[in-house]
Amino acid sequence: MFDNVGDAIRAEKILKNNGYHCRLVAPPPALRKGCDLALDINLVEQAAVERLLSDKVSYVAITPLAGTAELINVVQTYRYDGYTMVKAGNMKLTFEDGSGVIVNISGGGCPDIPYLHLELLGRRLDQIPQPRELGHTLCALMLDRAVEGALEIWRGSGKGCC
Amino acid sequence: MLLMAGIMPLKDLPLVKGRVRREDDLLVIEGYRIPCTQGTAAMVSAALEVTGHLKTDPPYFVFAGDTGRGKGSRQLYQFLIDNLTALQPQVLVLHYWLPVLKLMRDLYEAAVRCSKKPVLIADAGSMYAAKACGLAPEFDVFTPDAAELAFLADPEALHPAYISKHLFETESDRHPELITTAYNNKGASKILLVKGKRDIVAAEDRIIAVIDEPDIPAMECIGGTGDTITGMCAALIYSGMSLEKAAVTSAKVNRMAGLLAGVNPASRIYEVIKRIPAALAQADLNN
Repeated sequence: MFDNVGDAIRAEKILKNNGYHCRLVAPPPALRKGCDLALDINLVEQAAVERLLSDKVSYVAITPLAGTAELINVVQTYRYDGYTMVKAGNMKLTFEDGSGVIVNISGGGCPDIPYLHLELLGRRLDQIPQPRELGHTLCALMLDRAVEGALEIWRGSGKGCC
Repeated sequence: MLLMAGIMPLKDLPLVKGRVRREDDLLVIEGYRIPCTQGTAAMVSAALEVTGHLKTDPPYFVFAGDTGRGKGSRQLYQFLIDNLTALQPQVLVLHYWLPVLKLMRDLYEAAVRCSKKPVLIADAGSMYAAKACGLAPEFDVFTPDAAELAFLADPEALHPAYISKHLFETESDRHPELITTAYNNKGASKILLVKGKRDIVAAEDRIIAVIDEPDIPAMECIGGTGDTITGMCAALIYSGMSLEKAAVTSAKVNRMAGLLAGVNPASRIYEVIKRIPAALAQADLNN
């Protein structure tokens, strides 16, 4: 959703030029914020849409047509002998406590997750690109939260420095 | 025919179809070599172990490369929409891909047009799409994990990243409640195989089995351990096993394979897959 019609039209052009399916629509009255024009996107592609519009077009919000408007923000931690698993929503990331190296990524269902799995495994938490920058989908956003949670734990342990 | 479809994490892989050859930890199809990692590759590899063990026909695969942009996913949807009635699979497994609701509806319509509707199994992104467009009850098997079960129970959620917080609970003591909610809200398939610390098999709102032995906590860390269950379950159904028994057996065999592999949180899924034949040999498939 956008503050003004011009932004909505510019956003549509950017997304379409980058191969994303979208269309200009009137926002449902219950969700209306800003102007009378919104962009209908595939919500699953939120990570890519945010990246493409950032610094180019200002928007009010990206929100589902129904249900909760907030991304789930529950991060849980599980300890194993020498390893820690961090769950964020439907994504799980496991790192080695001493080295901070990512040893496994599981969960998710969007098509960038197997790719991110290949890209990030075996690399140190503080030396990887953010999954939200590398991925395209909501699962990538969840994985991003898992990485953030893992980094916080690893740095908090005193091992994740320098 | 056991038909399996999903994306592979290779940017330049076009749509490929046919039989797959295994070379250690690689899948080879039409000359392309695909690493056997988390996702559809793990699902496929596990299915191949089962069909090899049972000496049933190997699955027919349709893959396309997709690293998240959705192009390969759309190619897969369209191929299946256009060709499903000609392929006439008995069992159709849909796996990782971009959830696109209109294409999922069109694909379901194509499945219904087959002379006999195939057994429909969905996991990962295809499960998200099937549930989000209201088709969950038309599917035979979903294989969610705990977070995905909460998604199935939320009547309005379009993706597991947007679920009501009160439903998001990964402790397994809430699973029976979420299963009931998912069935009541028409978010569940005929059989649900909930993967987790305790694997739960439910049918039409009734829990029919809980599998929690052997207990191998590290399995939850390993990317692909849910995918292998889906692949095995599908191959067992194709062999003639009932949906319920296939679900229970695949969960048991998966745990046994993990035990035989001696996994830890850093293990790779291929280590588990290699042990599936030995785990199948130990499982009693006849009772």
